[in-house]
Amino acid sequence: MGIIVENVSKSYGGKKVLDNVSFEAKDGEFVTFLGPTGEGKTTLLRIIAGIESPDSGKVYFDDRDVTRVAVQKRNIAMVYQWFVNYPSMTVFENIASPLRALGSKIGKDELQERVMATARLLKIDELVDHYPSEISGGQQQRLAIARALVKNADFIFFDEPLTNLDYKLQEELRVEIKRIFKKKSKGCVLFATPQPFEALTLSDSVGFMHRGRLLQYGDVNEVYHRPNSVNVGSYFSHPGMNIFEAPVERLEGKTLLKASDELVFDVSHLAGILDADRYILGIRAHFLSTGSADGATIPFAATIELDEVVGSNTELHLDHQGLALVALLDTIGDFEPGMEITAYLNPQKLFIFDADTKKLITRTGSH
Amino acid sequence: MSKIELVNICHAYDVTSCSNLPDKQVLEDDYVIKDMNLSWEDGSANALLGPSGCGKTTILNIISGLLTPSYGKILLDGRDVTRQGPEERRIAQIFQFPVVYDTISVYANLAFPLKNAGMKKRFIRDRVEEIADILDLSHLLSTSSGKITQAEKQKVSLGRGIVREDTAAILLDEPLTVIDPKEKYILRRKLKEVQKKLAITMIYVTHDQHEALTFADSVSVNRAGEIIQTGSPAELHAEPADPFIGYFIGSPGMNLLDCSLKDQRFVFRDFTYPISAEMAKKLNGTIDRCSFGIRPEFINPAGADQAGAVTMEVDIIERLGAYKILTLSRGDTRLQSRVPDSFSVEEGDSVAVSFPEEHVKLFANERRVY
Repeated sequence: MGIIVENVSKSYGGKKVLDNVSFEAKDGEFVTFLGPTGEGKTTLLRIIAGIESPDSGKVYFDDRDVTRVAVQKRNIAMVYQWFVNYPSMTVFENIASPLRALGSKIGKDELQERVMATARLLKIDELVDHYPSEISGGQQQRLAIARALVKNADFIFFDEPLTNLDYKLQEELRVEIKRIFKKKSKGCVLFATPQPFEALTLSDSVGFMHRGRLLQYGDVNEVYHRPNSVNVGSYFSHPGMNIFEAPVERLEGKTLLKASDELVFDVSHLAGILDADRYILGIRAHFLSTGSADGATIPFAATIELDEVVGSNTELHLDHQGLALVALLDTIGDFEPGMEITAYLNPQKLFIFDADTKKLITRTGSH
Repeated sequence: MSKIELVNICHAYDVTSCSNLPDKQVLEDDYVIKDMNLSWEDGSANALLGPSGCGKTTILNIISGLLTPSYGKILLDGRDVTRQGPEERRIAQIFQFPVVYDTISVYANLAFPLKNAGMKKRFIRDRVEEIADILDLSHLLSTSSGKITQAEKQKVSLGRGIVREDTAAILLDEPLTVIDPKEKYILRRKLKEVQKKLAITMIYVTHDQHEALTFADSVSVNRAGEIIQTGSPAELHAEPADPFIGYFIGSPGMNLLDCSLKDQRFVFRDFTYPISAEMAKKLNGTIDRCSFGIRPEFINPAGADQAGAVTMEVDIIERLGAYKILTLSRGDTRLQSRVPDSFSVEEGDSVAVSFPEEHVKLFANERRVY
């Protein structure tokens, strides 16, 4: 079963939280809504789930208009940021509760079987006799996911389910969610998150939300490799994309973008579509390095502002003639703030945005 | 600024003082801090890293003087200060929540510790202005402290700690927890800058490896009241002393597989892998059962032509932009491998992986043996 959302808008007390949102998700898709907190992601999920109704616009499940259908009649399940379980029930009874709520349609044996199969899938089958307060935060969120899965809902909604877990548990549960939904045969998963790498690793399709508007929606690879604006590109990147201005210089038949006297990019092959006198450039942090991998990179002098150790990587914050740049290195290095280094940038990996509209014009090479 | 040493520190909340070092079993059963020995050099940037409930706050209170340990000594520049209170030790503490007086100006907040110490007005003004300049607070000096952001307040807290020139050390207890994510970077950078500029001994306590490894030159990993390793971030990552550190530091963590050694091969549950003659010689007779550790970035999945390469199935691919994390399986064995984004692979493919020996770590009884 697929979802069509058509021109949905919603305001609270005069403030527009959703502004004319439209998209279509096909049966079996994992769809992620990405964006900072407070930009309308939760409201959109709640409207599709039927917990709230839109001021205008329509929601369809396949070709059936469900805009005014109550949440109880939509066969959906929700997983929240906070682990929502019944504290007075065991893990088993918690997982069983959505099935019991369906009434007498499910026999005792089938119930036992479905609860245990779901518990095994979430790796909490050895905890079924415990109470939620006796298990860890990560296990409590696994339990909440089990409760959402057990009744075979058509649509499962996740509202920032990993936000309140420490990073090791996030890492584990992210793989787990990917594994579980790899085989989802019907319906859709709708997942809201502020974390770009969750969107990147989990989704088939991704929508970027900004101030209640869906700025871009499409196949995850397409959105990642062709972000339509500075807004989408700079956010949908981990760490954030480097963004800087570059005036155009036309010299002896060449077209050059000059971000500084060292960072000069020959874009003569794109001269036909670059007619303005300045552009905004974007480049992801992993295309900046401290070693020249091949002759194609451009060296530039930089001062280290801070070396942040993130996971097994180093995010090196650099100052290049007043320009703040970040390089993502795949090792944990020995750096000191204040060190003067030569860094390198791969000019084949630049995005070129219009300086006024901030829209993507083109890329310098293949990405 | 001072060197700080912990000598045989043991602590149990129901033991006020004991005359001898408790024996191992007693420590294990009843003590939250178990014979801890650490030294932090004068002017160094340090972190104490460990999961919640590992005794971090207890140690902080023992260092600052809020708590007297059941056994052991605290030395400041070699002087025994175990029985001294916080005031005498001159150790400042920065907490999760900024401690500032909201009703007075930023200037008055920074001047407060100096006024208390009876400093001259002229000196106070110069010193406050100097500290405000270092912390980028100069433009806020006349602003009421109730009107500034959490990050600015936390800088004021830090300023109150460093404004006295005789401060021996600064303890930071999860200082960025309540700071807005957008402002964290600024503060993270400022802390490090101040530490270097003033060469002040700082101990940063946190459960967050990102904060610890970014701030400190030397990180001590604490688990259940014991320090299991002290080293630079790169050392902890490359040479973990036990499997917990291998897993806890780095993302994804180190792969850990149970194995035994037999006929110059590692014998895993679902496959075997050859051991070079050189490595076998080094291991000869020392262990038979161990935990085999290798980081995802060192598993090479393009090694079909390498001796002993193991064929595994690609279960899951996680794309992270710069690279992909592959979850590989064979039988019930699962491994994670990190490959460049350009490495072409689909879920369901078979790949042949090899484990470069120089990156293999072996652990027995929870300790590193190779």
